Amino acid sequence: MRRILKIYKPFTHAGLLLAAQYRINFIFFVFGDILRCFITYFLWHAVFTSGSQQTFMGFSEIDMTVYIFITFLTGIVAYSDGAFAVGEEIRDGSIAMRMIKPIRFEFAFLFQELGERTMTAMIVFVPLMAGVELYKFAMTGALCFNIWCFLLYLLSLTLSYLINFYFNVCYGYSAFVLKYLWGSNLLKDCIVGFLSGGVIPLAFLPAGVGFVLNLLPFASLTYTPVMIYLGMYDAPRILMSLGLQVFWLTFFIFLQRIIWNACARRMSVQGG
Amino acid sequence: MKILRKIHRMFKLHRIFIKQDLKKLMEYKVDFLTGAIGMLLNQAVNLFFLSVIFSQIPSLNGWKFEEILFIYGFSLLPKAIDHLFFDNLWAIGYFIIRKGDFDRYLTRPVSSLFAVTVEKFQVDAFGELVVGIALLCVSIPKLTLSFSVINILLFIAAVFFATFIYTGVKLITSSIAFWTKRSGSITYMFYMVNDFAKYPTTIYNRFIRGIITYIIPFAFTAFYPASYFIRGGSALFCIGGTVLMATVLMAVGILVWNLGVRAYESAGS
Amino acid sequence: MIHVENLTKEFKKTIKEPGLKGSIKSFIKPKTEIIKAVDNISFDVPKGEILGFIGPNGAGKSTVIKMLTGILTPTSGTCEINGKIPYKNRKSYVREIGVVFGQRTQLWWDLALRETYAVIKEIYEVDDQSFKKRMDFLNEVLGLEDFITSPVRTLSLGQRMRADIAASLLHSPKVLFLDEPTIGLDVVVKDNIRQAIKSINETEQTTVILTTHDLQDVENLCDRIVMIDKGNKVFDGEIVELKRRYGQSRELKFVPRNIADVEKLNYEKEFGLKGGEIKVENDGHTVSVRFDSDKTAVEKVLGYTLSNLHVKDISVTDADIEEIIKGIYKSGVSPNA
Repeated sequence: MRRILKIYKPFTHAGLLLAAQYRINFIFFVFGDILRCFITYFLWHAVFTSGSQQTFMGFSEIDMTVYIFITFLTGIVAYSDGAFAVGEEIRDGSIAMRMIKPIRFEFAFLFQELGERTMTAMIVFVPLMAGVELYKFAMTGALCFNIWCFLLYLLSLTLSYLINFYFNVCYGYSAFVLKYLWGSNLLKDCIVGFLSGGVIPLAFLPAGVGFVLNLLPFASLTYTPVMIYLGMYDAPRILMSLGLQVFWLTFFIFLQRIIWNACARRMSVQGG
Repeated sequence: MKILRKIHRMFKLHRIFIKQDLKKLMEYKVDFLTGAIGMLLNQAVNLFFLSVIFSQIPSLNGWKFEEILFIYGFSLLPKAIDHLFFDNLWAIGYFIIRKGDFDRYLTRPVSSLFAVTVEKFQVDAFGELVVGIALLCVSIPKLTLSFSVINILLFIAAVFFATFIYTGVKLITSSIAFWTKRSGSITYMFYMVNDFAKYPTTIYNRFIRGIITYIIPFAFTAFYPASYFIRGGSALFCIGGTVLMATVLMAVGILVWNLGVRAYESAGS
Repeated sequence: MIHVENLTKEFKKTIKEPGLKGSIKSFIKPKTEIIKAVDNISFDVPKGEILGFIGPNGAGKSTVIKMLTGILTPTSGTCEINGKIPYKNRKSYVREIGVVFGQRTQLWWDLALRETYAVIKEIYEVDDQSFKKRMDFLNEVLGLEDFITSPVRTLSLGQRMRADIAASLLHSPKVLFLDEPTIGLDVVVKDNIRQAIKSINETEQTTVILTTHDLQDVENLCDRIVMIDKGNKVFDGEIVELKRRYGQSRELKFVPRNIADVEKLNYEKEFGLKGGEIKVENDGHTVSVRFDSDKTAVEKVLGYTLSNLHVKDISVTDADIEEIIKGIYKSGVSPNA
């Protein structure tokens, strides 16, 4: 483990520096994206004020608002560029170079991205988290920060990033077949966004559909950590969800390795 | 006569690039099709979201589902047209200036702005255009609109000028790159405000309403003109506002652009 | 034709301090430094001349060209070409000039070359008849036929450069600006391009301004050169003048029948020169003698050599301009030295 950290530390460092260089641009981009959260917020606000109910399918207005912003935050922090990175390497053929280096292919990406994610988290995590907690405080008049929910959220968030990373790397291999990933990336992001609860909470869907979606890996990407943070899950449910996350992570790690080995064999036979 | 010749020349150049972009499309058929499906799906998901909301409430701040669909559909038309013809402005802020590639537009005997925009005909925009028209077609029969000649002309004018609100915002923000080398993220931030225009401004608080009406006036690209056609009201404010805002933004945009061209520092030695 | 007076261009450069604190500081109150890329340069170019613009990397050559072509606005000073001020009457001015930047193409990457020319024809409003005539001429000079239907991105560097030059000449400009037109090309293609430039200059009296690092370009093409260094003009004149001013070095090379005979020669003593005024190098096979023909006549050195030993082969070469310029770049010469 120590050895691994030593080998890959420079990658993390490079990722940090890259992200740091880009941080002012990044802040503007985040600002642009966060506007959409406000639109969603106002839409729900109008729903709660024009409807007569206090809650909407089990969500109060405060829950809904926290859901919107924490989903957004989770989305940025757990974001992975793996598909793009792998796709580009396949397209320009530099992936063949990976075979002659004495390092694990996906680790190089992973550690570089960890550096970038750290910088991202440093920039957006604290202000957004503080904003959400302040909002809760202003609305309820009481401090309702639950440290356990928060810690479990962090754990779940870490798992969700790793799942996202390995899922994206697996997906990036489709560049071998598709050549260009622009279109399918768009399609993927749209589907994953919906299935992971980015548009509406999965609880709003018909029970059967919701149940299936909860089991799929996409729910593990954003929905699970957000629901844990919201305190919507009881202890057994939390345990089950975390277990499911671990299962999907293992699944994608193995899938990734199988695909990579197959590709490596194919490249050494056909010459890339 | 001279102006006619100029317009003729512009059309001819546009035709060459459009033809080429369509050809390229054939080369990337699969990629384009999956992308188009992705975009359609994206819109479908948004509409699904709206339908979930409306399954619980009869109206949103007094606006019926059909009315929301009309506004939403209307908002996509100017967005798509701007996307279709002026997409290359994004590249200005992302890399054209930073890499010094702007040089070549300056050695042409046409306005540099035209030289930049003519180069790209963004076919992706057809997705938005199709969805926009479809939504209008679905919602119009359920609404009581008057199809007078004046209204049809006003509709065309509203879409035309609303397009230039998009273009103007992009023009001003991407011109910043002449001084800072990079401004894509700033353009992005301002451009994203357009999403507010898809819904009635009455659902927002006063602060946001003020911003999208007077500062970054995207409300005039959809909600105000669309509400005029649905419910009537002041044509002077709803359509005139669109014309005024588009004119002001484009005037400022062209001014900033021209100042920027003069301050342009190229790249390298 | 071209009149440049006291042309100066300054760039503002923000100094970034390292670390987060530094970047916040530079975000709020950026520290800037003014760099003079071009400092008070003046020169004139008559119609039909080929002017070579030379200098080391970062000397300000491209900046001058960019000001002359209307891309950059000068900080102070004036330039006037054909009675027009580039950055003021940009649109009408650029109709009269052609510009090629060797490092980046001005052609449309994805368009077939033929389509690219159709676009340029439209932009410059060339009528059909003159377009056809012009294409025939350019085809003849630059040999475009083989690749005119290929997309620009598939062209080789040499083809691309020829295509770029043709594109810049389509509207029969009066002045042609070439920024490193032979960069990265092989010897044969370089030669083709030089021939083309020369023949266009001769047949149409096109004034050509060219920057280059390849001194063969200068020797083969230019009537006159302007050399700049660190933004200042350090030389302006004909190549002969440069050679006369900066060195009359000649090189005598010979292969003696018996290499040991070289010991018999003592040029310094024979011509009464100090050490360093004449340099002898012996690689065990060929001997080279460098000397200044102003101080020692060529025939005397030749005669002395031949009368003292038998040679298998002998040659005298002219001053190598590359050597001269290298010397000037290195030592740095004050203007009008």
